[in-house]
Amino acid sequence: MRNQDRIKAVLTLSPSIILIGLFVYGFIGNTFWISLTDWGGVAALAVNPVKNYAGFTNYIDLFTGFLGGGFRQDLVNAVYYSVMLLAGAIGVGMFLAVMLDSKPKGEAFFRTVFLYPMSLSFIVSGTIWRWMLSPQGGVNILPEYAGLQPFTFRWLSSTGSILEFNWQNLLEIAIYLVSAVLLIIGLRLFAKTPRQSLLWLIPGIALGLFAWLGGEMLPKALFMEETHGFNKATFGIILATIWQYSGYTMALYLAGFTGISQDLRDAAMLDGATTASYYRHIALPMVKPITISAVIILSHISLKMFDLIFAMTGPDNGQTGHPALNMYLTTFRANDFARGAAIAIILFLIAGTFIIPYLVSSYRQRRGKP
Amino acid sequence: MKTRIFSTCLAVAAATMLLFTAQTSRAAELKGQLEIFSWWAGDEGPALQALIDMYNKQHPGVTVVNATVTGGSGVNAKAVLKTRMLGGEPPDSFQVHAGQELIGTWVKADRMEDLTPLFKEQGWMKSFPDGLVKNIGTADGIWSVPVNIHRSNVLWYIPANLDKWGVKAPASWDDFFAIAPTLKEKGIVPLALAENWTANHLWESVALASLGADNWDALWSGKLAFDSPEGVKAWELFGKVLAFTNNDATSLSWQQATDMVVDGRAAFNIMGDWAAGYMSTTKKMAPGSGFGWAASPGTGGQFIFLADSFGLPKGVKNRDNALAWLVLLGSREGSDAFNPLKGSISARVDTDLTKYNDYAKSASADFGKDRIVGSLAHGVTANEGFMSDFAAVMEMYLKSRNAQATAKAAQQIAVKNGIGK
Amino acid sequence: MAQVELKKVIKRFGSTEVVHGVDLFIEDDEFIVLVGPSGCGKSTVLRMIAGLESISSGEICINGQSVNEVAPKDRNVAMVFQNYALYPHMSVYENIAFSLKMAKESKSQIKDKVQQAAEILELTPYLQRKPAELSGGQRQRVAMGRAIVRQPAVFLFDEPLSNLDAQLRTQMRMELKKLHLKMKTTTIYVTHDQIEAMTLADRIVILKDGYIQQIGSPIELFERPVNRFVARFIGNPPTNIIPASLHKHDGRTSVRMGTLSLPVVSPPAGADSQQVLVGIRPDIIKTGDGLHSLPDEWQVQAEVIVSEVLGGQSLLEFSAGGTTMIAELEGRVQARPGEMITLGFDLSRLLFFDPRTEEAIY
Repeated sequence: MRNQDRIKAVLTLSPSIILIGLFVYGFIGNTFWISLTDWGGVAALAVNPVKNYAGFTNYIDLFTGFLGGGFRQDLVNAVYYSVMLLAGAIGVGMFLAVMLDSKPKGEAFFRTVFLYPMSLSFIVSGTIWRWMLSPQGGVNILPEYAGLQPFTFRWLSSTGSILEFNWQNLLEIAIYLVSAVLLIIGLRLFAKTPRQSLLWLIPGIALGLFAWLGGEMLPKALFMEETHGFNKATFGIILATIWQYSGYTMALYLAGFTGISQDLRDAAMLDGATTASYYRHIALPMVKPITISAVIILSHISLKMFDLIFAMTGPDNGQTGHPALNMYLTTFRANDFARGAAIAIILFLIAGTFIIPYLVSSYRQRRGKP
Repeated sequence: MKTRIFSTCLAVAAATMLLFTAQTSRAAELKGQLEIFSWWAGDEGPALQALIDMYNKQHPGVTVVNATVTGGSGVNAKAVLKTRMLGGEPPDSFQVHAGQELIGTWVKADRMEDLTPLFKEQGWMKSFPDGLVKNIGTADGIWSVPVNIHRSNVLWYIPANLDKWGVKAPASWDDFFAIAPTLKEKGIVPLALAENWTANHLWESVALASLGADNWDALWSGKLAFDSPEGVKAWELFGKVLAFTNNDATSLSWQQATDMVVDGRAAFNIMGDWAAGYMSTTKKMAPGSGFGWAASPGTGGQFIFLADSFGLPKGVKNRDNALAWLVLLGSREGSDAFNPLKGSISARVDTDLTKYNDYAKSASADFGKDRIVGSLAHGVTANEGFMSDFAAVMEMYLKSRNAQATAKAAQQIAVKNGIGK
Repeated sequence: MAQVELKKVIKRFGSTEVVHGVDLFIEDDEFIVLVGPSGCGKSTVLRMIAGLESISSGEICINGQSVNEVAPKDRNVAMVFQNYALYPHMSVYENIAFSLKMAKESKSQIKDKVQQAAEILELTPYLQRKPAELSGGQRQRVAMGRAIVRQPAVFLFDEPLSNLDAQLRTQMRMELKKLHLKMKTTTIYVTHDQIEAMTLADRIVILKDGYIQQIGSPIELFERPVNRFVARFIGNPPTNIIPASLHKHDGRTSVRMGTLSLPVVSPPAGADSQQVLVGIRPDIIKTGDGLHSLPDEWQVQAEVIVSEVLGGQSLLEFSAGGTTMIAELEGRVQARPGEMITLGFDLSRLLFFDPRTEEAIY
């Protein structure tokens, strides 16, 4: 009987397992294989294109090659873009949710209004924002209606950048980052368990000192100086994405807040909490799972972002470039399929670093609580 | 048992019928479908439709499937085309920029049929200028039928505005640098520029002026290096020109840059001659009096051409129908139906000029006597790999403004993409 | 230590009035129970005292001060909720400490107070646990700990025991009582369970449909209900209410229910030969040894319908003179259905109600 059940289970599941295995993991594997070849250049589109194994050449070229500069800037852009999008969309969404959670008049109306941008396609919202952020129109001329000087910030075409760093010193910067993380964990633990905190603090200090004193001796990631930073033109893209997604995070948070029983809110009020401290100490910690899923969803949207950027600043705009765009152009315009596959795999791995810990922890939680 | 006999009979009958139609199709009417793949929608849609209408009249038995994929100068269409070709599902005929964009991507991959027999059969070897046939063919054959010619190196202006400001269209860049500062002082942008591909477009006009036609050709045949002193000089000149462009360029479309000239916010614009179509059709301005043109500074007597063409992929489903389509495209009637609407000139030497506007007449005349060179920005001189990498090199230059380093990078991508090989 | 006073308090939700002019004065240290069926407005009254609901009209005073415009946190009241309303992401310690933290007390002070409260409620071993890891009774105690740690002027309880099983409920009821004796804090307690009301309250307030029916000590309510509703609500099993008529004969009054006629010891005032409702509490019906103290004419023959033995007592449904009643009898009375049994009534405790107004007549 038991055996029969098992056979049935295997039979029912196997079509999905086979299909997913083939069309998801099989293709990821194939993409990885392609990224290790030299498929590209002339005759790349032949009926049976020549693909020679080339090891990790494509990856090395992307990170240290002379012509990989565009990709590296795109990668830096993507990181800044993700961070700003997360902060912005979660911040604004949370703020809107808190406002609407107090059930003001017309709450349903505002909820729809804020959620509406979400339903637009990126191409549509990208086009709208391209107009809104044009140098002599839209947002920039708003102050004129109040009789003020118009803004002159070039949202999408500014060429300046801030927070610049030298890609050569990538290793040094990475060590500083690790040391900073260790120090922060150590300091937070210090109050509770001083002895344990030393386990974090000492390596943190050691690494920091090492990078500070020995940074010059570290191998350089690149043979020449190459600065990358946060391009100010990305502000426009970030603004548009936040506009589009803060309604979504608002809806997530609002659902979470509504799920908190009124009694808890009452209890907090009686315990002396102000509205602000209610959200800070009760509501937001309780909707932490929502924050985590919002971070996962948004970071992965920002890593995949393509159409919005394409619509707003076009395909060859290094100021607002993005690895996904780069992947598309490398593959389908330059016919460099192997390098495109390598970019795809890099994006896949970055997305994995966000999602795998999340999946592991949610899996553990589910097993912990029957 | 019975059913099997029956179905066998049916199959035999069907096969006979097929055989019969196959034999007759050559002699009589064409049937079935014809799928044309292009990025001509929007403004260019009517021109394509005129051709399709003619085709329908000639071959009423064929259903034409007009597969268009929109998006700036075909970037999306090309991606879709590539996935279809890789997937073994080629359209019967597709639009492609004549030159290396076709040869580098599709001919070298052995995906196209040689059209030399068709050219001979139709007498096209004489109908098209020699220089053009050379550019769309290789030693092994001719690979596409050109439907139009556009000129890249054109300087646009509004004569009334120039009179008002007291300047003349510059014949050389030195002339331009002489008048640009005064224009700038008046708050007028000397040269309007738009998003990044128009920077590539501007570059080829500037580089041609700096290098001269012979060196330009030498660059693409691999005889002159990009980081040679001449190459570096071209970038330096380009940098000087950029200093007189608008700083919000990257957020403008080419039409918006043209608008700047039309509205009097800018004095000049260098753009392909589709700008003439835009100004005469959309803006209802008269060629010559409403808007004026000249060869871009320093390129008088030189004609940077680009052409759209259609080819015949190997292994298409409706080869006969596709051949009939190509015959129409190459014909004088087809060409003269299409080009006046598209705002381009005919590739044929025997074109009926009465059907064209003043700009096109002048361009046609230039095409007949000027030195013809290929366009980089529009796929004539370099393969797609180089073009794509060149976009990155251009970004690098726009950011760093370092002519030396950029020239070096350009040479690297030329080597990588086998330019001149 | 606080007095709470409600003056003509009215609550409307939209156009629906749910509490109609409640007047109530609660003494220092008093344990008041608001009781009534669901929908009677008792929780609304409690929430208005807490400040969680606004008052549509009237006034609520704590210690003589009107608190109509005072925010809940400034009223110095603490509340225990039916579902405990523990903060699920905080440990027991943090839950209890939360109000002190909000009051910006020092860490050491918080620690002392929390530990003290935890000791009183025997929660010390669980301080680091999360609410999800506690049993129902423990959660209940955490909720109480959260209330007592602040040493508020008034405790408010909103059906705090109704999520517990019967046994635990009895135990917690005792603990609540002891806690009140120890803390001596004015307590307002809402329940729908009349046993909790009877056992805990100094005074009970019975509510029905937003009106106060009666205020009084448990015994008062039990012995002298003001109307049929109170008589039925207080006491378990509920009072038998039987339509009857009073008859005066030779200066003696008797009551006739169906064919059954019984003498009336203290006739209700001005009740001559009229229709009434008679209230017979199940516990005034006796049998066996209980019959000895009752005169013969207070006894009747009854037919058993069904009997249930509850250990020391028995419930008996019977029919006498065509009327069906329930009796709560001392001892184990095992009788088969259809059997005849002699039952006596303690007629000195009969209740009479006006059949029209349902008010009690004494």
